[in-house]
Amino acid sequence: MIAALRTWTDQLLGRGAAAITVPIFDGALKPNQILEQAETFAELEEPEDLATDGRSLFVADGACVLRYDGGAATTVAQVDRRITGLAVLSRGGLAVALDGTELRVIGGPHDGRNWTGVAGKPLNAANAICATADGRLLVTDGSQTQPCHRWCHDLMSLGRSGRLLELDLTDGSAREIVDGLVYAFGAVSAGKDVWVCESWAHRVVAYGEGKWGLPIVSRLPCYPSRLAPAANGGYWLTAFTCRTQLVEFVLRQKAYRTRMMKEIDPRYWIAPALTSGNTFLEPLQGAHLKMRGIHKPWAPPRSYGLVMRLSRDGQIQYSLHSRVDGKNHGVVGAVECQGTLFVLAKGRRRILKLPVAELERSLRP
Amino acid sequence: MTGAIVELRKATKKYAGVPAIEDIDFALLPGEIHTLVGENGAGKSTLTKVMAGVVSLTSGQMFIEGREVRPETPVQALHLGIAMVFQETSLVPTMTVAQNLFLGQERFFNRLRGIYIAAQQFLQSLQFDVDPTATVSLLGAAKKQMVEIARAVLHKAKVIIFDEPTASLTPEEKKYFFDLIFNLKARGVSVIFISHALEEALLVSDRITVLRDGKLVVTDHKENFDRARIVQAMVGRDMSQTLYGRRKTAMRPAGKRVLSIENLRMAAMVKNNSLSVFAGQITGVFGLVGSGRTETFKVAAGVIKRDIMYGGEVLLHDKPVRYLVPAPAVRDGIVYVTEDRKVEGFFETKSIADNIYLGLLAKLRGQRKLVSKREATEVGEQLIKRLSIRAIGKDVKAIELSGGNQQKLVIAKSLVQEPDVIIFDEPTRGVDVNAITEIHQLINRLADEGKAVVVISSYLPEVMALSDRILVCRMGKVVEEFSALEATEEKIMYAAIH
Repeated sequence: MIAALRTWTDQLLGRGAAAITVPIFDGALKPNQILEQAETFAELEEPEDLATDGRSLFVADGACVLRYDGGAATTVAQVDRRITGLAVLSRGGLAVALDGTELRVIGGPHDGRNWTGVAGKPLNAANAICATADGRLLVTDGSQTQPCHRWCHDLMSLGRSGRLLELDLTDGSAREIVDGLVYAFGAVSAGKDVWVCESWAHRVVAYGEGKWGLPIVSRLPCYPSRLAPAANGGYWLTAFTCRTQLVEFVLRQKAYRTRMMKEIDPRYWIAPALTSGNTFLEPLQGAHLKMRGIHKPWAPPRSYGLVMRLSRDGQIQYSLHSRVDGKNHGVVGAVECQGTLFVLAKGRRRILKLPVAELERSLRP
Repeated sequence: MTGAIVELRKATKKYAGVPAIEDIDFALLPGEIHTLVGENGAGKSTLTKVMAGVVSLTSGQMFIEGREVRPETPVQALHLGIAMVFQETSLVPTMTVAQNLFLGQERFFNRLRGIYIAAQQFLQSLQFDVDPTATVSLLGAAKKQMVEIARAVLHKAKVIIFDEPTASLTPEEKKYFFDLIFNLKARGVSVIFISHALEEALLVSDRITVLRDGKLVVTDHKENFDRARIVQAMVGRDMSQTLYGRRKTAMRPAGKRVLSIENLRMAAMVKNNSLSVFAGQITGVFGLVGSGRTETFKVAAGVIKRDIMYGGEVLLHDKPVRYLVPAPAVRDGIVYVTEDRKVEGFFETKSIADNIYLGLLAKLRGQRKLVSKREATEVGEQLIKRLSIRAIGKDVKAIELSGGNQQKLVIAKSLVQEPDVIIFDEPTRGVDVNAITEIHQLINRLADEGKAVVVISSYLPEVMALSDRILVCRMGKVVEEFSALEATEEKIMYAAIH
């Protein structure tokens, strides 16, 4: 009764869960133009994920896996379906997620091993793979109800069916570490723990001994995507778009959302996107305001590009941005390889490269 | 200056020995619009208050049309032809417009209808569209300004001083206000206009005077100014080279986010403001008067309340909090060190030790059933030593301390509460140079110990000398963030004004 009254008063007064607030990009998240000004390494048809073995860069592009040694690309694997997640295995070979519904090992000592379901539930939206040094695969299955490409439907229907899975390459066993995640997208092995991104909850949480769902980074002003280890310790965390008060408002309006999802083309929803500004029919980013002599977007951003450098304990140390007026949006992956940070801006179908030493020198306080 | 309607020579005004204005030579010509610009505390208000008889000069001379005068009260100044329109209007809100116009000029037999007719005719002659029978409290800001101006003209003022007249006006109202100013000028009235908005100064003035640290920096015709020259004149101080001369060469890395403010709203003062405060860092907050910086942090500390509906969120350690009074905020680890220490900071008739102990009791809530004199003495002695509060003894009353030691007492009262977040609002206002150095050392020490420290200051060199990151507020929200290494006075002032 009290809880119901509380909910009612919160909705009336715009407080608690009904407070439509969004954290600000400040401190280590202070916007810059580094991602926007980064050198373009490659432009591809359907890039989906990045991985590295420490020497070369591997890119999942449609149904192919490309390997870049220097600037030249070689196709190292071709599969029958779209690849939605990619990892390079420590003992050779690749692990790929096929259309989100199957995990398959290509090459190496475990060539041909595959999984289509874990803990009695089929894989539905496997979107990121992390290969650990001890021969395990950490896999995030984003949603049990929507496939990978319908991630926005999952957000708009307030999906809460993501899973973190652990697969053993040696014996083929698999277990579900946790389910009910608010869109699981990206995981990394952090010592004895596993860190996993919950995109719609705007946080990274840890699972391990004594840390069950412990928030490592929380209340992010963005929707986090994949995690990757950094060479000098710590991690790279990417975010494919940022939060806005308008979208937060829409997420609290069930009737509106339901009708929008039913009647309007998903491209024109009031929802985050990997890219924007492609057509005047898009609901946002139409207006500008001149402040301090600079044209600033008046409308809330629909797409954004962001990479965050995390310390070993999950503290954000600095960040790289492609702001609302930029193009390198929809960042879904970043890997560090031989002193270079490669960033996948899926919204622009582009891989960017940035020298890590220079980033550390100029951005680390 | 020959032909000046008002002239000040070597004008100095000191408060408790500290000069607010010093050796100022100022002249106002007949029928000119003269704008005064400068940072907060530059001496603009004091200079105009001297002319309007609100305060008297400590030394120096004042002339009106060549005759030396010394107005002691606003009424005397008004009789000499000088009227001042304050930022907060001085009208009686429950009276009608006509009653306010003729306030103090009532005859023995007053006929309400008569003053309404007189007021109507007078307002029409000024082309002011204000109903004389309307109650003042129901008028908008612009109309109130009109009534104030009409009252000044009615008193045959030859000089009208406006203190930040446009701060509360909408763009349409501003345009109307400027028309009124030009109308006054056409009638031969001289206008002194205080403004933080440089565009306004450049738009309406005939001449501009820039004040800095209580001294007149430059007076010139507006054609000889541009924004850059005004900002340079406002901030380029020599004094900063002594106390705040050294620039930061390194900044502390941010620790965990301790306090977050998201989309905060509080009446017209705070508009959708968002910011974060991190552990182990000093977050400097700069903004001109009315920028909403103090109100934002007062809401966070429970001193004032945010809007009831859709007031935004305040998060302490990522958990939403809503304080209606400061006590629970203190218990949770947020303390606010007030800018007005005499009114809000301490009990002036209580001893240093008692004041500090009261701070501790506020933190402990009901845990102390009985007040322990011994504990009060111990805690007092500890903090007096830690903060180097200089007094004859710990039983000295707070009122008997110097300004600097009073400020240290206010800080001690907060530190005894062992906070995680300490918000200093104007920590060195009215404090002598030695105490400033000690307070700055203390603030730095707190940040080094890992506390999240916020320093709100109107004094740019102080913000720059202390802060690891600087947030600039304007019109109720943070508009810019600078790291200590990239900030310059010009950049900060530019962000605060534009």
